[in-house]
Amino acid sequence: MCLDDQILNTYVDGELEEPWKSQVEEHLSYCTSCRNRCNSLRELSRRIQDAQLSSEEIDTRKERVLALIEKNHLNKKKSSFMSRKIKFSMPQIFGVAAAFVIVFAGSWTLMGRSSSNVIPVPEIGYSIDVSNITPVRASDNAGASKSLETYTLDEILKNLDARGYDVDIRLKSIQPVNFDEVSEEKVVLAYADGTSITSDGVARDAQGNILATGLSVEGNTVLTSDGSVVFSELEVLAN
Amino acid sequence: MEIRSGDENTFRRVYDDTFPVLMKVAYHITYNTDVAEDICQDAFIRFYDKNMTFPSEDEARFWLIRVTKNLAINNIKKKAREAASLEKMKRAPQAGNPFSDGASELLLHESRQAVRKAVAELPEIFRTVIVLREYGGLDYKQIAKVLNISESNVKVRVHRARKELEVVLSREDVDVS
Ligand SMILES: [Zn+2]
Repeated sequence: MCLDDQILNTYVDGELEEPWKSQVEEHLSYCTSCRNRCNSLRELSRRIQDAQLSSEEIDTRKERVLALIEKNHLNKKKSSFMSRKIKFSMPQIFGVAAAFVIVFAGSWTLMGRSSSNVIPVPEIGYSIDVSNITPVRASDNAGASKSLETYTLDEILKNLDARGYDVDIRLKSIQPVNFDEVSEEKVVLAYADGTSITSDGVARDAQGNILATGLSVEGNTVLTSDGSVVFSELEVLAN
Repeated sequence: MEIRSGDENTFRRVYDDTFPVLMKVAYHITYNTDVAEDICQDAFIRFYDKNMTFPSEDEARFWLIRVTKNLAINNIKKKAREAASLEKMKRAPQAGNPFSDGASELLLHESRQAVRKAVAELPEIFRTVIVLREYGGLDYKQIAKVLNISESNVKVRVHRARKELEVVLSREDVDVS
């Protein structure tokens, strides 16, 4: 009996273990058709690999990304948010019902900046209090005649950056819910308690409340975008 | 040996070893070199800033590959949704060829583009496996670890992905000749 394609694929990949490997090799020694199949699988794999991204392309980008990380993360001497890439597309900003930019400055010393590698971004909810909000006054800068409103956002940010503040910019937007779009998403995983995960990576509870976004599903396991497991089927069923 | 991702020397070593694999994985999922570069950058920044402990350098690599793969998959899903809503607005964007990598446009053989197109059309579960195998150079055990699936599941998916690619590519070959 001739060999099954899956076994040949495993063999071609060098992943077939003994005693099957020897058995396959023995069969290949006399069966021309399986040998041909093996060769065409190797050829296919070679052809796929041939389409890979060129190493020059990889090397240029490798250097560029490292330079950027070195500048903003490895050699971080001062707050570096201005050099971080901040990308907004116009529709993102204007295509929504309302958009606010909240500039939030945390106090340098209060946030314990000094020895840590991590940027202590103040989070609303626990670290905000009157003592670590510093009003930005025009007199702090050169042009004492200017009031805060006459500075551009960029100038305010540069000024705060120069003075060593960690600044977190958040773009908050209210987006109209598009029910058509919601209903189009396919449910890829459903749990006994009514929790479901749709193909857009959103988890909702039985009432349709969003529990989490940016998820991906591998088998019965749900992963966040950083690759950590959120919950597995068994865990949810146990709840 | 246990390693910390926030340690600069460790970071540099892992970066040096792993960047090419991440770039390949990100590229062959998104088929956009700039997007792939951003994804790699994002993955390495998370890696460094989170200062995590890994039991070995291999485990750190798996983490990076998994994050990169997830970011890339999220990106193409987002793009697909955007494309769908643009379609609704009856706009027709789409400039350039997403399967050429620009720099080597002239040298890029038609066969390569056909392969990239075929890979891009694979369903996600086959696409990630074949990308990790053929471009990431991972073995079955490593793929199983990255994707959190069993090795026998990897075997099945590799086989089915190749089968699908074979069919699509042979159809393409007939079209060309
Ligand atoms: Zn045979």
